[in-house]
Amino acid sequence: MPETPADFRYPLRWRLMDGIEALADRIWPRRLAPWTGWLLITPALLLVGLLVLGLIQIADSSLRTLDTATFLPSEDWSLANFEKALASRVYLTVAWRSLLGAALTTFLTLALAFPYAYALVRTRRPWVRKALLITLFLPFFIGQVVRAYGWLIILGNSGMVNEALSLVGVAPMRLLFNYPAVIFGMVQYMLPFAVLLMVPALAAIPAETETAAGSLGANWLRTTWHVVLPMAKPGLIGAGLVVATLSLTDFAVPAMLGGGSQDFIANAIYDQFFRTADQGLGSALALMLVAAGSVLVGLVFLVFGAGTLSMGGRR
Amino acid sequence: MISRGQRLTIWSLVWLSIITLSLPTVVVLGASFTAGNMIAFPPEGLSLRWYEKIALARDLRQAFFRSLIVAGVCTLVSIPVGTLAGLALSRFRLRFAGVIQVYLLLPFTIPLIGSGIGLMLVFGQWGVLGSLWPVGVACAVINLPFIVWSVSSSAVLLDPDLELAAQNCGAGRVQTFLYVTLPAVMPGVITGSLLMFILAMNEFLVSLLLTDARIVTLPVQIYNSIRSIITPDLAAVSVVFIVIALAAIWLLDRLVGLEIFLKSK
Repeated sequence: MPETPADFRYPLRWRLMDGIEALADRIWPRRLAPWTGWLLITPALLLVGLLVLGLIQIADSSLRTLDTATFLPSEDWSLANFEKALASRVYLTVAWRSLLGAALTTFLTLALAFPYAYALVRTRRPWVRKALLITLFLPFFIGQVVRAYGWLIILGNSGMVNEALSLVGVAPMRLLFNYPAVIFGMVQYMLPFAVLLMVPALAAIPAETETAAGSLGANWLRTTWHVVLPMAKPGLIGAGLVVATLSLTDFAVPAMLGGGSQDFIANAIYDQFFRTADQGLGSALALMLVAAGSVLVGLVFLVFGAGTLSMGGRR
Repeated sequence: MISRGQRLTIWSLVWLSIITLSLPTVVVLGASFTAGNMIAFPPEGLSLRWYEKIALARDLRQAFFRSLIVAGVCTLVSIPVGTLAGLALSRFRLRFAGVIQVYLLLPFTIPLIGSGIGLMLVFGQWGVLGSLWPVGVACAVINLPFIVWSVSSSAVLLDPDLELAAQNCGAGRVQTFLYVTLPAVMPGVITGSLLMFILAMNEFLVSLLLTDARIVTLPVQIYNSIRSIITPDLAAVSVVFIVIALAAIWLLDRLVGLEIFLKSK
């Protein structure tokens, strides 16, 4: 057996690692191991805590009315802002427009996203799958403003569609700045979200279940209705929830494709902050929107569970 | 077994989606190469003059770099935070896990306008509005669930026995984490951080709320210019976003494969 030289040293990397391990044992001793999970999650809890702080700030300023003489928020709290917002017909109209818009968008988006996700999951040709994925990700990664800009070019008063129509002698039409344009832009914006949230649920359905339903005499419509859709429920819920909340509270599409005449709740809130500078009223509206969204999400979670939105995954 | 009716119905709907999804991108690309002063159809010849114009425009270039900074800050903040949270949620038995999940989904359940205004008030009180890093942090907050999802969906695929085996072979906790756990969740970390970068790069509403006229980011700059007049230089700027998006997709496909999104749950 060879003698270990007196100046023998372990490789630097080993010593470094041992040092780090010792340091880790010093900072976070093993007896704290049951709390390691909490240690790991704390940064996320703190980061999201910023949002909670923000909500508290909004709640605080929603209780202060704007003093029209000094243009400063009042010192004492009152519910005047909420009364004002609830009594106003304008906000009722805006709220109704947003709710209807969200419902329409959710329905149309799910109707388009389901076949897309289905084709994506079931296609056997890899290149088709890749092409479908790229088509999906490209707009998702481009952002709302650029996409809305594209629609402005296409649908504008002197846009492509109208120019093309004038070539065949049709008078220009107002295709933009109306409700259908906003809904259309919204569906286009939401489609990638919906497909991506629906795909995991559809991928979990074995193709054999459909074959089985078929061999028992169901045609494809009945198979889809009675087998695929019920099994895809977690995906439909996840996708529907995200689309509904995002479209209910969207700002950019109504602002750009609605041209100021089709404001949603978010636009009304923005205007209160930056046009009228009534921070209190804006905060009250924002708080009510947050409450409405939370109630919606909470109800869906209670009734259906988190669907594909659950973050823990399988155990 | 797929019947003809099914194939026809599904693919016609898929094609409708494909056209709706791609049309704005294609049109913006086409419009950016026009030679005319206005965007017209049919286009008045081809030229690169609008690219020349935006390359020389200082405000656009600065807005672009600001967007890069915001996206960088967002990614740097969200990688450690999101990775650790994803691991904690999927590999540790936490008490109140249900409550934590609902809490961590707050960025999605609180409307963007609410989060944006709340953060604007908080940052305003702290006196940090007017610099770029709060915008990056804000983007990290509002998109955090994306990276938590992607990390935890990779983490659940790792067999806990592998970590035990590493420790059995004498690896300490740090070593196990660095050599076993981290490589296993790397696809999730890469996917998540790419998503965070891209989403922060494109983030519009929160940027609009947290920036002032001196530090507008590129999406806000485009939005402000659109309201005045539609000229082809904006199309050329938009192409910058298209190129970045294409690069991100290519990178994602190379590093982890786009099919990662098709996993069942």
